[in-house]
Amino acid sequence: MTEPALRIRGLSKSFGKPVIVNLDLEVAAGQLYALLGPNGAGKTTTLKMATGLVKPDAGTVHIFGIDAQRRPIEAKAITAWLPDEPMLYDKLTPSEYLAFVAGLWRMDPRVAAAEAERLLHWLELWDERDTRCEGFSRGMMQKVALAGALIHDPQLLILDEPLTGLDAGMARAVKDALRAQVDRGKTVIVTTHILEVAERMADRIGIIAGGKLLAGGTLEELRARAGTEGLTLEDTFIRLTSGQ
Amino acid sequence: MSGIAAPGGFLWLVKHELRLAWRNRPRKGAARWLGYGFAIVYVGFGCFLAWMLRDEPIPVTPTMMTGVLAGCIAATSFMVAQAMIGSQRTLYESGDLALLFTAPIEPRVVMQAKLLGIAATIALTYGLLLLPVVLPVAVLGHPRLFGAALLLAALALTAASIGIIVTLALATFIGARAARTVGQILAALCGGAVFLISQLLNHPGTGRSGIASLFERLRADGFGSSGVSALPGRAAFGDPLAIVILLGLGVLLFAGTGALLQRMFLSGYQDGAGRVSRRRPSGRAMARLFHAGLFRAVFAKEWRLLARDPALAFQIVLRLIYLAPIVLVAVRNGGKLPILPGMAFASVLIASQLVGSFAWLAVSAEDAPDLIAVAPVRKSEIGFAKLLAAFAMAAPFAIVLPIVIATRAPLGALATLVCTAIGGGLAGLVELKLGKPASRKTFARRRSGSVIAGIIVIVISLVFGFFAAAGVFFLD
Repeated sequence: MTEPALRIRGLSKSFGKPVIVNLDLEVAAGQLYALLGPNGAGKTTTLKMATGLVKPDAGTVHIFGIDAQRRPIEAKAITAWLPDEPMLYDKLTPSEYLAFVAGLWRMDPRVAAAEAERLLHWLELWDERDTRCEGFSRGMMQKVALAGALIHDPQLLILDEPLTGLDAGMARAVKDALRAQVDRGKTVIVTTHILEVAERMADRIGIIAGGKLLAGGTLEELRARAGTEGLTLEDTFIRLTSGQ
Repeated sequence: MSGIAAPGGFLWLVKHELRLAWRNRPRKGAARWLGYGFAIVYVGFGCFLAWMLRDEPIPVTPTMMTGVLAGCIAATSFMVAQAMIGSQRTLYESGDLALLFTAPIEPRVVMQAKLLGIAATIALTYGLLLLPVVLPVAVLGHPRLFGAALLLAALALTAASIGIIVTLALATFIGARAARTVGQILAALCGGAVFLISQLLNHPGTGRSGIASLFERLRADGFGSSGVSALPGRAAFGDPLAIVILLGLGVLLFAGTGALLQRMFLSGYQDGAGRVSRRRPSGRAMARLFHAGLFRAVFAKEWRLLARDPALAFQIVLRLIYLAPIVLVAVRNGGKLPILPGMAFASVLIASQLVGSFAWLAVSAEDAPDLIAVAPVRKSEIGFAKLLAAFAMAAPFAIVLPIVIATRAPLGALATLVCTAIGGGLAGLVELKLGKPASRKTFARRRSGSVIAGIIVIVISLVFGFFAAAGVFFLD
């Protein structure tokens, strides 16, 4: 049986008060999984623990069967993290940024250069490849960061609010990029406040509130659980989280 | 409530500025408690001094008058530097100008509130140094010294006005992008002006410092004790006419700046907010940028970030200039110290200062720490790569003195090289272990984040500098 892309068991984290409480979450490989929740639900903290940015108080994280706490380097090698604020250097150009990321992931220089060229063309950044990022719009920065996340061909791509602040064209480009990743057999986990995006794009949806996973499954499974058959994800989401 | 104190009014905005400035002070860590401790001791000293002088007349001598003038010149150079940095932050970095300029408030009022905020911050900075001593003395029997507080206010208003005039002039004539870089360099030069001039005036072998010679010359020529140059001294010792003249000039300059430059202020902000990256000609082969190995990737990134930030690079060079007195003492041939051991000592100082600076930039001032944290690289590996990058960037400068020594004392040069490498390496290691995350913009104040790291680096520099000097002395 194939290992799940992400398996979280008994995850807990407290920052003075509990933020994540004994969370279990499993994302199968080759899916686009949307993690939804109200503000302060613990979505970003959960994903940061999955990527090794925040140390859990308790619980385990496995990425494709690799224990991310015991073997972090192996887990990180096949994972990419794209936060809501792009992790860029203002004074580097997109090409130079990709070269640096490729160095961090120890890619073969020839493979990395070819992949960078492909990504820059695909994300329509080619003409700006030698322009410093400092004057870029938010959408441009997000695309550069996305190229950085994709250059090492991660098996698992985790994105926190990737569509925030993007115009319709940019948002469409990012959504297409994520769908293309899934079509290539990769796994994408995304948090978003835009429920329509989750409704249209996600294979499975998880709803988190108060540091706990309230429900998880396909949209139809969630509707059945909430008793909102025929209604929108928004109705389902509100019904499921109304008690929290 | 109505008028200038009402919400949206001038005083209301000034209060807002002061609140922001107050909340930017160190609020936790050793620096805060050190500050409180120092303040208590300093105020205690001021009260003690005031008690001792309560029945003693304080004669106003020509030397004191010249001293006040010299102090005012030095303080003004520091204040103008502070004002230029404050003006740049106001114009290019503080996000609240977008809010203030879209609010139904006159741009002139916004500018004057910002300007007064800068002046008040400057006055507070120097007031903390001056007033704990001067005010108790003034209260206990020497009321004319209240003039010193008013003199400080006049200087702060003048410096704030000059700072924003220079910043706006630069923005107008050379554009927002260049104005930031040139402004930072000018501020650094202005802040170090007194020190740099004193070094230029030093005469090896005379046994007198440049500052002492300059002061003596000024005093002998009557500067500070007669004519217009006596105004600061007279104001500090309570002459009402001098106070009115200096404070009046400060207020006039301040009001005039606000009234005349409001358009430049608005357009300076608009130019800064709308700046875009220069589009560079493309066509370079992509493969040229991609290299095998973590170190090469880290080195390329660090080198590019430094090379593209001239103001930061200049600050590092300035730090080397600040080492001049120690180096001059060490290599001065007319003194008792022989030149080659002095050079060896200087070599270690320069290397540890440079590696420490570069390591701070690479380690503590990392712009994308999360990117590094999620990369499949061990913390020790990335730390070592950054340390190596800092070392490689410092090497071309650090190697100069050992090469010079090698022409006369090869074995001593070898000892110097080893000590320079160890001193530099340890300075970088200290940054790696004790450094705290910070923004590259805070380079000039970086040691305030880690006082212990700063002290350890100084001790390491001195110890290995001594070893290097001893090595040269005994081996050749």
